[in-house]
Amino acid sequence: MSRKVCIIGGATTPFDYGPTGFESIEGGAAECIKETQQDVPEFSLRDLDLMIYSHFSVHFSHQLAPEWIIHDHLGLVGLPHYRVENGGNTGGSALYAAALAIMSGHHDVVGIVGWETMDSVSQSQGSEFIAMASDIRYELMVGGIYPIYYAAMANKWMKENHVTEEDVATIAVKNKNNAMDNPKAQWYRNDHRYITVDDVMNSRLISYPIKKYDCCLMSRGVAFLLVCTEEYAKKVNPDHYVTVDGMGLSSCTIRAGDRLNNPGWTERYGPGYPGMTEFAACRNSAEKAYKMAGIKDPLKDIDFGEIHDAFSTSEAQIYKALGFADEKTIAKFIRDERTTMHGDIPMNPGGGLLGYGHPVGATGLMSMIECYYQLAGMIPQKHLSKKTEVPDPECGVVNSHAGTGTSISNFILRRH
Amino acid sequence: MTLSVVMKNKKEKFADPPNFTEKKEYRPADVTEKGLVFVGHEISEDRTVMNQFLHYDQLYTIRHGWNSRFFIGLLEGKIMGTRCPKCGDSWVPVRTHCWNLDCNLQKTEWVEMPLTAQVHTWTIAGWSGRSSLKRLPIILVYANIGTSKVAMANELHGMNPWDVEFGMPLKIVFKPKEQRVGAVTDFHFEPVDFWKPTPMNPEKQRIKDLVMPVYEWVKTLK
Ligand SMILES: [Zn+2]
Repeated sequence: MSRKVCIIGGATTPFDYGPTGFESIEGGAAECIKETQQDVPEFSLRDLDLMIYSHFSVHFSHQLAPEWIIHDHLGLVGLPHYRVENGGNTGGSALYAAALAIMSGHHDVVGIVGWETMDSVSQSQGSEFIAMASDIRYELMVGGIYPIYYAAMANKWMKENHVTEEDVATIAVKNKNNAMDNPKAQWYRNDHRYITVDDVMNSRLISYPIKKYDCCLMSRGVAFLLVCTEEYAKKVNPDHYVTVDGMGLSSCTIRAGDRLNNPGWTERYGPGYPGMTEFAACRNSAEKAYKMAGIKDPLKDIDFGEIHDAFSTSEAQIYKALGFADEKTIAKFIRDERTTMHGDIPMNPGGGLLGYGHPVGATGLMSMIECYYQLAGMIPQKHLSKKTEVPDPECGVVNSHAGTGTSISNFILRRH
Repeated sequence: MTLSVVMKNKKEKFADPPNFTEKKEYRPADVTEKGLVFVGHEISEDRTVMNQFLHYDQLYTIRHGWNSRFFIGLLEGKIMGTRCPKCGDSWVPVRTHCWNLDCNLQKTEWVEMPLTAQVHTWTIAGWSGRSSLKRLPIILVYANIGTSKVAMANELHGMNPWDVEFGMPLKIVFKPKEQRVGAVTDFHFEPVDFWKPTPMNPEKQRIKDLVMPVYEWVKTLK
């Protein structure tokens, strides 16, 4: 049996577009570590024996190997370091790498720093940069931005699953309004208002059925996550650590149109799946994580989650891929408000990408950190109120998601 | 003891380099390659924060290599796909080796596809990347071309956005030869001649209501 992987702390800078107060990336990383040390005073930089850097695009950072600047700045010369890049699933993949390092017995205390500086170019140029993670030979010049690919997938999914524009709008409302309780969230810092389904329905068309308020935010932000062995967790933070009891990572095609009849999926799930509608890599990685963590019935065994709501529609698609509902029950699942704060399985109490923001390399870590805070009972000190605290949670799911569903990881975190 | 070194014929190469005989430039006059240039800065009133503007302009050579025949096909008004001789699967966008693990990276053969397709799914874009804003709203469809097992994304022209339907039959229409650049934007989809839209319904009306402001907004663009 391999060694247990624990999370014992973490923090993000405020997420924003433009000034955040931590205007240099290496400065932001240092501040995230210092906030973590306030929560875990026994943690010393000297305890780290590996650093993993989680960063998506050097197009945004206008600097190759920018992790070298951060690492050097933190005073960690001599410590091994490398960067993980896996699109929107960069943060999840970085945790996957850190967990492997600990499980192997080769490393004991691993720091992960994630960041993105998407405000270094204009919003429309930023959209084109992100679209360069589509197959540029075939897709960049037709459509040109990711929301269009997601809209084409969601449109068909919603029809097939009898989910309406209003249904997914409730997800956008939920996450943006949750973010109003989170001072680091971009929605709180900028738009700063509670919205309704009508606001979403009346916001401008991005790509049918997706409208402006169905979309996440382009962001600048930094995050730090501290991952370690149980031995170290017991030593420095015995009362507030969580264990990574399950993890899964899976992949799908880069071009969404290539998954209609893909032999790899036919072999696993039979013909016709996932089509252009389902996130097969989410289902597949969740199955792996559930198996590892002994999750039999996700709705019963999981108390809440922080998942990759790049679009309100994707959050709905993810519910299904995580096994919360099927084609017959998904619309009712959403309408019954199961994933709101008063539901039985709240999703994105931290605001998610729709509310907290989406600085790609930091995003997955932000989700881990929010999940960690919930399980460690730290929400009252991190959020503005207890409104967004999940009551007495034992088990959370964290989901990190890339491309058009091209790489997806899922993690099961449990309170110790 | 003497070292014996086998001298290879210096001219012996892994492969003959291609002889590029057709070359065309259509770069806009304002696209230059100055490399990295600092072009300005700004400093806050209290002189504690500085932003600097770095301009980076770089020409990339996309070497299409084994995929080239697809892109050359576009210049010629053809859709070239590939087909696995072992399992018979075919693709546009192309694969030069089969995706079926049982075929063990079997090299595929080129096939010319018919200029017909069928809508798999669709969306109507009211926002896009910088280079596409003036063409909004855009009907973007994923459609299976000919026998292709995968769907390819491209624009659908020649109809009202709210009339697009799942499964509708399409034809492929190329730009005039002199305007083609060997990119997927050299062609678009149009409904086949016999296709007629179904009558207005609540969803079509909803889409129309969302799309009409986009037409107005585009008129305000310079
Ligand atoms: Zn084959």
